[in-house]
Amino acid sequence: MNQKENPMSEVTIPTINFKARAMELLPEGASFEACLTCGLCSSGCPASGLENMDPRKFIRMAMLGMDKELSTTPWVWLCTQCKRCQHVCPMNIDISQLVFLARGNWPEEKKPAGIVRSCQLARATDSTSAMGLPPQDFVFVVEDVLAEVQETQPAFKDMVAPMDRAGAYFFVNQNSREPMSEPDEMVPLWKIFHLVGADWTYSSKGWAAENFCMFSGDEAAWYEVVKKRVDAVNALGCKVWLNTECGHSYYTMWNGIQRFGLEANFQLENLVTCYARWIREGKLPVNANWNSTGIKFTVQDPCQIIRKAYGDSLAEDMRFVVRSLVGDENFIDMQPNRSANYCCGGGGGFLQAGMTEHRRAYGKRKFDQIQATGATYVLTPCHNCHSQMEDIGHHYGGNYQVVHFWTLICLSLGILGENERTYLGPDLASLGL
Amino acid sequence: MNDRVENTMIQEARHFETDLAVIGSGLAGFAASTFALNRGIRTAQAGNTGAVAYTTGYLDLLGRVHNEDVCPVTDPWQGLRQLRQSQPLHPMARVSEDDLRAAFREFTSFISDCGIIYNAPGQFNATALTPAGTLKPTLCVPATMQAGVDALARKARCVIVDFKGLRGFSARQVVANLKDTWPELRAERVLFPEMETGEIYPEVMARALEVPAHRQALAERIRAVVGDAEVIGVPAVLGMHNPDLVMAEMMRLLGRPIFEIPTMPPSVPGIRLREMFEQVFPQKGLVLIPQQKVDKVVFNADDLQLSLSDNFGPITIRAKAVILATGRFLSGGLTAAIDGIREPLLGLPVTQTASREDWYHLQYMDKRGHEIHRTGIEVDDKFRPLGENGQPVNDRLFAAGLILAHQDWIRGRCGAGVALASAYKAVEAVQELLR
Ligand SMILES: Cc1cc2nc3c(=O)[nH]c(=O)nc-3n(C[C@H](O)[C@H](O)[C@H](O)COP(=O)(O)OP(=O)(O)OC[C@H]3O[C@@H](n4cnc5c(N)ncnc54)[C@H](O)[C@@H]3O)c2cc1C
Ligand code: SF4
Ligand code: SF4
Ligand code: SF4
Repeated sequence: MNQKENPMSEVTIPTINFKARAMELLPEGASFEACLTCGLCSSGCPASGLENMDPRKFIRMAMLGMDKELSTTPWVWLCTQCKRCQHVCPMNIDISQLVFLARGNWPEEKKPAGIVRSCQLARATDSTSAMGLPPQDFVFVVEDVLAEVQETQPAFKDMVAPMDRAGAYFFVNQNSREPMSEPDEMVPLWKIFHLVGADWTYSSKGWAAENFCMFSGDEAAWYEVVKKRVDAVNALGCKVWLNTECGHSYYTMWNGIQRFGLEANFQLENLVTCYARWIREGKLPVNANWNSTGIKFTVQDPCQIIRKAYGDSLAEDMRFVVRSLVGDENFIDMQPNRSANYCCGGGGGFLQAGMTEHRRAYGKRKFDQIQATGATYVLTPCHNCHSQMEDIGHHYGGNYQVVHFWTLICLSLGILGENERTYLGPDLASLGL
Repeated sequence: MNDRVENTMIQEARHFETDLAVIGSGLAGFAASTFALNRGIRTAQAGNTGAVAYTTGYLDLLGRVHNEDVCPVTDPWQGLRQLRQSQPLHPMARVSEDDLRAAFREFTSFISDCGIIYNAPGQFNATALTPAGTLKPTLCVPATMQAGVDALARKARCVIVDFKGLRGFSARQVVANLKDTWPELRAERVLFPEMETGEIYPEVMARALEVPAHRQALAERIRAVVGDAEVIGVPAVLGMHNPDLVMAEMMRLLGRPIFEIPTMPPSVPGIRLREMFEQVFPQKGLVLIPQQKVDKVVFNADDLQLSLSDNFGPITIRAKAVILATGRFLSGGLTAAIDGIREPLLGLPVTQTASREDWYHLQYMDKRGHEIHRTGIEVDDKFRPLGENGQPVNDRLFAAGLILAHQDWIRGRCGAGVALASAYKAVEAVQELLR
């Protein structure tokens, strides 16, 4: 399954004693000995059946001491660690912890090369960018794009994109995909900040959002990346680390800070929360008037920020934002949703892992759920969800587009530039230009 | 975790103020919240998946009065009158017939309004199909199963269709069990579209059928085997979120009624109910903390406080009253240890046999049932748990559901009956307290 694996490699995967490790890991009352073998976890897990494994089977094999099989099953790279199994389990058993353990146990050269590489790159520069974009390049791209917008879009000639500005309220992180391959996609967010008068800054260090080290199961590397980011925020003295539209970036930081006991002199916040607040406060006067033809929208709740972190409060904020943007009657909730949502199959490093066929099989559940809504647009504040849903849409012949929130906010406000429309369908491609 | 971290990475501890806190998300907890919402009582609820996720979808009132009874009860209201005589401590014996009818009516109409249509409680039990093709008495069935009850009563020409790869449901077994009394019944097996290989789960099929294209594909395959059947039975997979629409669409495509038969757990009708409640309650203003257990309850003079935590951090709920609906052993409402059975959250006294040896009769299938199945906590007529002294432990504390003593819901076929009856009365008492 690992195409880039070195064929000469003699390395074998050591065997873990899952039962013993689980005793240390799982909180009291949630040890897998309590498993009722009811199958609720497997029934609602999109990875069930892949590589002839499912979460209940994983637990049972662990109980039976089938450690060798579990230590080597490639299925641990197909479970996205979305924790849906735990959500539906009457005993609150968290299989993803064992999966994390198993992943970490694989020798580096056996792990999916894409995940390993993304983690290595994140550690290679002060950017912590999984695409390896060094600080000076990030600074250059930001300046370059900003200059062009100031020049070509007169309404934004005074817009800023501050870098390393000490004492700014928000420290804003950035998914590498934008500066690396679609720099114009940064602009809508800058416009939003400009409009609400946000006191914000980028940082040349620790600016990147994504963190595949967690998905590689490498705790030391996960720590290293989070530490760099925490240090960068502390150094600038920002009050809030504002997470961009990216799910696992939030989770790796939030969970990592607690897990590693890091001293973080700031709060963590999510863009969706800010969007909701700014709309409520009237700072972002969005409305749905533009949607005169009644285009239907749905949302994907990223597990990393909903089920695995904030819970349903953020899901509610997200729905408030969507309804404000597209009109109440044009919003159709995906089923199931909020904390009960299914992972799309882009999580856990799946998109980087090169196991395309499995990833799409996993994603078929999500594809069906999107189809069932009948919506032609899916909004999601997560880059992984975004890429995965686009991919399965193309693969299975869906007729929907996947868009970022910032795109739609700027569209609604009539300030979305010509180059900032990559993800809009033909029906909206030139609306308001 | 060290203190500094708690202070520095600002974690807001969330706090909720409410009138009623419901502990438990089984049928009793969901029913209590339903009744409370309908009465305008501010409510917060917490709990893991309860037994509701395993249920057949049938809401049983009373199927058997005495464990030894051979014939099932056909008129459950009549049965209840007997129950009041012979088992005055049974939780349902504390509830009047009017209240029980009202509880079932209110609950079924609530879930129907929320998108899972159920029939209203009638005078008689329906005879419904079980996953194994045996029959059981029950009071309320989902609309998606009604045509099965009718077909069985009429012994209609019927085909039961199952799916390759689906465990826990076999059309052939259903037919084998019923053939003697239902000659016009036959079994067929088809491949579920796009799930032709490997093990498949009812939940996955049900979600797939929310998509029109999959309904069409399945209808085509069923049409190929339907023959001259007047009515079609399938395992319970007709949609998850819109079961009535999915059923109607399949009916339209196939040109005849189609009904669901429950499958073994994990079964769709239970997951349906759970997902519906989890979605609808917050929309109606209830504070729902899904999938978390309450760690501690502290009673003060004028209120009480619940402590729990979820993935995001600690939560406290301050309320005026609390309903304990934590179930029995399966859900952790009771725990069994060497020295006896305990109620772990509040340490309430548990009525149980004197020694462990008496928990079970020698034969598992013993007609008399087992004493352990009557274990539980004692309550008064207001469903307030009683302490060792026989007095209510606290005026703000109520209990509902399977945690109550003196009922063997499995043999009595009265799971929903116990849950709804006690939840109804507990909420009534809460309302009185809050007044
Ligand atoms: C396999 C199966 C099939 C069934 N089929 C039927 C049927 O066909 N018809 C029928 O009428 N009935 C059926 N029942 C019974 C029915 O499900 C129960 O009557 C119903 O669920 C009521 O139970 P309850 O709410 O009291 O307890 P449960 O459903 O057991 O729920 C207890 C709840 O309390 C929670 N809890 C426990 N401790 C805590 C704590 N400390 N903090 C917070 N929450 C806590 C649990 O997580 C759970 O949510 C079936 C039950 C099972 C197990
Ligand atoms: S849902 Fe929980 S109890 Fe049920 S089989 Fe899975 S791990 Fe075991
Ligand atoms: S974490 Fe998600 S993908 Fe992994 S076993 Fe659980 S439900 Fe399946
Ligand atoms: S890709 Fe999206 S849905 Fe999947 S785990 Fe990540 S956040 Fe969740």
